[in-house]
Amino acid sequence: MKSSIIAMAAIACLSLSGSSISSIVDKVESPISTADLDVHESNGSVSLLGQFRTSVTSWLWLRTDLYLHNGVEMRPLTDGEVRNGRTGVGSADHQELAAIDADKLVTVIPAKSEDFRGILGDLERATRAYKDMAMHTHNDPETAFPLFRLMTWIDPNFVPGWTSGASLIARKSTRRAIVQSLEFLQVGLQYNPASIPILVQLGSLNAGRLRRFDVALRYLQKATEVGQKPRLTEDDNESLVDGYRWLALIYREQHEPELLAHVLREGLKRFPDDRVLMRLSARKAEIRKSPS
Amino acid sequence: MVVLESIRRKDLWVVAILGFLVIASAGMLGIFGFQGLELFAKDLGFSVLSMFSTVVAVLTSTRVMPEELKQRTLYPLLARPISRFDLLVGKLLGSILVSWIGFLLLAAMTGIALLWFGVKFDLLTVQYLVAKMLGLVIVCSVGLTLSLCMTHAAGCTVSVRVAFASGLISRALILACASSSDGFRLLFKVLNGVLPAYGLFDLGGRAAYLHWSPVAPWVILALAAYMLIYSSSMLALAWIRFRRLAI
Amino acid sequence: MQLPIAVEDLHVQYRQKNGKIVDAVQGLSFAVQPGEVVGFLGPNGAGKSSTLKAMMGFLEPRQGKCDIFGLPSGSVEAKRRIGYLPEVALYYPFLTPLETLHFYGELQGMSGRTLRDETRSMLAQVGLEESSGKLNRNLSKGLLQRLGIAQALLGSPELLILDEVTSGLDPLGRRELRALLNERKSRGCTLFFSSHELAEVEMLCDRILVIHNGKFVEERNLGALREQIGRYALTFISRDFPKNTAQPPTDLGNGQFLARFANKKHLLEAISSVHGSGGQVLDVIAEEGSIEDYFIDTIERAA
Repeated sequence: MKSSIIAMAAIACLSLSGSSISSIVDKVESPISTADLDVHESNGSVSLLGQFRTSVTSWLWLRTDLYLHNGVEMRPLTDGEVRNGRTGVGSADHQELAAIDADKLVTVIPAKSEDFRGILGDLERATRAYKDMAMHTHNDPETAFPLFRLMTWIDPNFVPGWTSGASLIARKSTRRAIVQSLEFLQVGLQYNPASIPILVQLGSLNAGRLRRFDVALRYLQKATEVGQKPRLTEDDNESLVDGYRWLALIYREQHEPELLAHVLREGLKRFPDDRVLMRLSARKAEIRKSPS
Repeated sequence: MVVLESIRRKDLWVVAILGFLVIASAGMLGIFGFQGLELFAKDLGFSVLSMFSTVVAVLTSTRVMPEELKQRTLYPLLARPISRFDLLVGKLLGSILVSWIGFLLLAAMTGIALLWFGVKFDLLTVQYLVAKMLGLVIVCSVGLTLSLCMTHAAGCTVSVRVAFASGLISRALILACASSSDGFRLLFKVLNGVLPAYGLFDLGGRAAYLHWSPVAPWVILALAAYMLIYSSSMLALAWIRFRRLAI
Repeated sequence: MQLPIAVEDLHVQYRQKNGKIVDAVQGLSFAVQPGEVVGFLGPNGAGKSSTLKAMMGFLEPRQGKCDIFGLPSGSVEAKRRIGYLPEVALYYPFLTPLETLHFYGELQGMSGRTLRDETRSMLAQVGLEESSGKLNRNLSKGLLQRLGIAQALLGSPELLILDEVTSGLDPLGRRELRALLNERKSRGCTLFFSSHELAEVEMLCDRILVIHNGKFVEERNLGALREQIGRYALTFISRDFPKNTAQPPTDLGNGQFLARFANKKHLLEAISSVHGSGGQVLDVIAEEGSIEDYFIDTIERAA
């Protein structure tokens, strides 16, 4: 018993001490990903630590949903429920950090009318965090910020931790907040130099909030360079198309028609169905006509 | 006797060390230098408290009888003018006492750590403590019963799995029941009644998050009644198993 | 007055891991009178411990019954009058001997000054005073056995059931134990114990019960047994032969004869007779026979 409790305590300390993690990161390979399994298969203990970190960050990531819903556990509708025409609870405000769209979410604890458990169900609804979540609102996302900090400490390669955390910091829209957000993302970029989402977010913040187009261009061009590799995750693709959009907007702002055309061509070649790029492409003729 | 054993085996000392680690870890969280950590601190504190107190309860309750049998200390004990039922009740009460002491010790340490973050405690926190203590009684009774029906290691493993997976099993039963035939629905209802509903005793969700009101008094009374009924049933099962056990 | 122990047609079975049923005790019946000291003998695996466990209620017999002072074995009231020493002496490793006796004494219903005095007295009687503060896990086997004896004697029970009572004890310890048990016997306590130390059995018991393969073999009064297995012979010179010889005297030549007798009484009568007739006693042999030889012979016959 002593050894198991001490082991758990040791793991807890390891998880919470950022400085220890940073020194370990150099020695330990990144957590398991579907792209590169070979290395982890050849080194069990390293892979295990990586898997543990991935598990903890995944758990923390899911926890952010709980924070947004003030402790009420939600779940997506099952296929059967969707087929039967059931709809989710819906929300009165959109929260970009929420994992799943509220129209597809219901509470884990069922309502009394749907619960076969009688008094036990009533007790659970009374003791757990449960309420009618129809058209619910979300908690201030800032309450979840410690989770993102913890995620990035435990697993610096967990990119959503950096990007979502930066979004949270930048919500205040003050210059100071934006600068802090950029600093946060810079740290993330050090650990993930080829991360398209981080590069694009750096670009978008510099361009959109500070109007530092030169700086933004560097990040966005880097993102499109990295995006040339064949296998990209869904998140990478989403960020890459954003990157092309921002590049197009910047070139439009800077009245650079050739560069704009080039970027739109590249972007549409990659994402032919993207409406924003298509709209920009349709309007690029107007830009050429407008006086510089 | 069970309490003295836990103290001399240094089990409760380990719990105290764990508590200090919780406080130390909480201190390290201050490195965030960020406001609004109250929710996170409470969430983490209640989660850790819940997990470790359950582990202590399981490990204590699944050990008491197998150790007596293994060490053969049961012979001189049962040679005394006490019945086997007296022995079982005594062991169960001892396990419960140790679990409660471990839980309150950890809760005190966690409370100190949470005070660091300016967390204020209210009636809901007290209700959380009371409900959790009631839940630990069920954990102990299940652990004791399982330890008499299987080997120590198996009893411990099954107890831990039941304790931590009971919520998941309950969710699965609810989902399964919704889309099943009548026959299976009855089976799931029976299963749901038989499996211990540990989740009912965890008010951490309400206590950690914001703006939840304390539970009504009838809820605590109902939890106490459920605890008494379930624990008595477990004790009866343990008694049926133990009374004719050749030692 | 109720018999301290009354066993009737006792059958004890065990189920082995492979499902096979083993008959540990088969149809055993015996009784122990108040104040008696009875030795329970048998080779390894004879069923002695199973019988004792059934008497203590640690296992349920398949058939038959055991009554302790007329009460069902294993009942709380019966156990109130018994002191039991298990075969393997193990006590809570995290307690000291003093705490162990205190704990058992409380379960026995004692408290306060009575309990305190009793525990200290017991520790002194078994020679554990110096070790009373050490944890049980640090005691040797012999000291643990002494602790076991102390806990069995706690509260001055009317019946002592002792399984392998001298196991682990040094010769000094055995002597002290004999004195202790004899003292209890003199106070009217009934003793029932199993042992492989036949010398101890011989020194303590009034009666012995022998079992083998779970079945009753023989029951003998020890005093009579000693005489029966004894060697009594007389070498003499006399005109008249003494009476009650076991067989006709052997002529050794030179007027000397050797006569054998069944017991010491006949030998003494013969000596008186030789002297009375003016004869001469040359040599007297009076040896009590070995219980060990008797035991081995009995078991071999039973097998």
